[in-house]
Amino acid sequence: MKLLAHIGTYFLLMKRTFGQPQRHSILYRQIMREIEKVGINSFGIVVIISLFVGAVITIQVNFNIENPLLPTYLVGLTVRDSLLLEFSSTMMALILAGKVGSSIASELGMMRITEQIDALEVMGINSASYLILPKMIASLVFFPILCLLSIIVGLFGGYFACALGDIIPPADYINGIQYGFQPYYISYALTKTVFYAFIITSVSSYYGYFVKGGAVEVGKASTKAVVQSSILILLANLILTRTILG
Amino acid sequence: MIEVKNLYKSYDGEFVLNDVSAQFEPGKCNLIIGRSGSGKTVLLKSIAGLLEVDEGEIWYDDHKFSHLDTVTKQKIRKEMGVLFQGAALFDSLTVEENVLFPLDMFTPQSRKEKLDRANFCLERVRVTGSNGLYPAELSGGMKKRVAIARAIALNPKYLLCDEPNSGLDPETGIIIDSLIKELTEEFQMTTIVNSHDMNSVLEIGDKVIFIFQGCKCWEGSREDILKTDNEALNKFVFATSMAKKIKEP
Repeated sequence: MKLLAHIGTYFLLMKRTFGQPQRHSILYRQIMREIEKVGINSFGIVVIISLFVGAVITIQVNFNIENPLLPTYLVGLTVRDSLLLEFSSTMMALILAGKVGSSIASELGMMRITEQIDALEVMGINSASYLILPKMIASLVFFPILCLLSIIVGLFGGYFACALGDIIPPADYINGIQYGFQPYYISYALTKTVFYAFIITSVSSYYGYFVKGGAVEVGKASTKAVVQSSILILLANLILTRTILG
Repeated sequence: MIEVKNLYKSYDGEFVLNDVSAQFEPGKCNLIIGRSGSGKTVLLKSIAGLLEVDEGEIWYDDHKFSHLDTVTKQKIRKEMGVLFQGAALFDSLTVEENVLFPLDMFTPQSRKEKLDRANFCLERVRVTGSNGLYPAELSGGMKKRVAIARAIALNPKYLLCDEPNSGLDPETGIIIDSLIKELTEEFQMTTIVNSHDMNSVLEIGDKVIFIFQGCKCWEGSREDILKTDNEALNKFVFATSMAKKIKEP
């Protein structure tokens, strides 16, 4: 029953979120602010993690397929497909659920307990639409950009590992990342990222928006937001992979 | 005028408001007083429409607020200014942006007109030279003043204040109270102030309603309050030993 109540409240919140915005100029301004908060401010973490993961995957793949019968360009091909199919969409979404999701839940939670959301409601403003919709649009627009960035930086990470670590000749690596390339994989990764962006923002907003109590409850809501978003991302990954590739 | 008729509100079967009826007149500071947990905030939030009552009616002049559709409710809310206990200023906005916020949302005015109005409101509450500061950089008293400026930005007909001087020193508290009274008389607003501070009652209470265990227990003026023989009210008003000495010299 409690789960059903949660699901019902979540969908009612989403209905309010997609209600008519108060003013389009204000919505635009809010979206720009959110793009900076959820998108541009995540550039650093995406670049650092992708660079290292790209390098580590290269080293590990080379270590595991070290066989004279296997061509060395396979390292590049495997790194590319790992990044495209799983890491830059799903793993990056799990990382962003931690960074962006907890930030959204705690921001909204603090606004709730300090009566800022009540202040919006009492002014006659649809607080869900005003607060959540810009975050959602910003994430839906910007997370795919972060996914693309992660793919590019991850591939560079692999290249640096080859060039600096003497893993395989860099020319073989470049040959590998070009070999049998299917552009369809990129749209697959971007499609998954759009779903994940929706999950992260909506679930985190739900937990933050309905906080009751004080600072401890805000912390709990933030943790719940990250945990639930992560579980839903993994579930969505399974369903989307089966649906799109299966 | 705001009128509440036979309001009931319960949580888990326990009544927090029990058959509360009252009239709040325009141009006056109507005070709701009572002990902590007596139901004052629930009553004020019900009047503001932030809580749904179980039974009863809330009237804003000729509009039955408790039974209105969302659009009409929103129209009335635009004529309502609310000062929350913790000021509820938007953390991410500066002082000026906070006061501009309702103007940006609801008025078609030009940027200059809005800025003029925001500055007028800030001057009116005696906050000058702090336009670029964020709420975190303000003192408690300043936050309350800015919140009042935001509440009056749209020239509201109704002003609802939840414990406006809580957490403030007595002197600043009186300044805030006086400001609310001044603005109420100047703009002929219907003002409802929640308080458990006797200084406020004696300073600005044109009409006082005493809530005790969710029921309206007493109603009168600030002059009457000192002469009443209502036991619960006397216990509340003369709670300190110093006040008791004044009552029984």
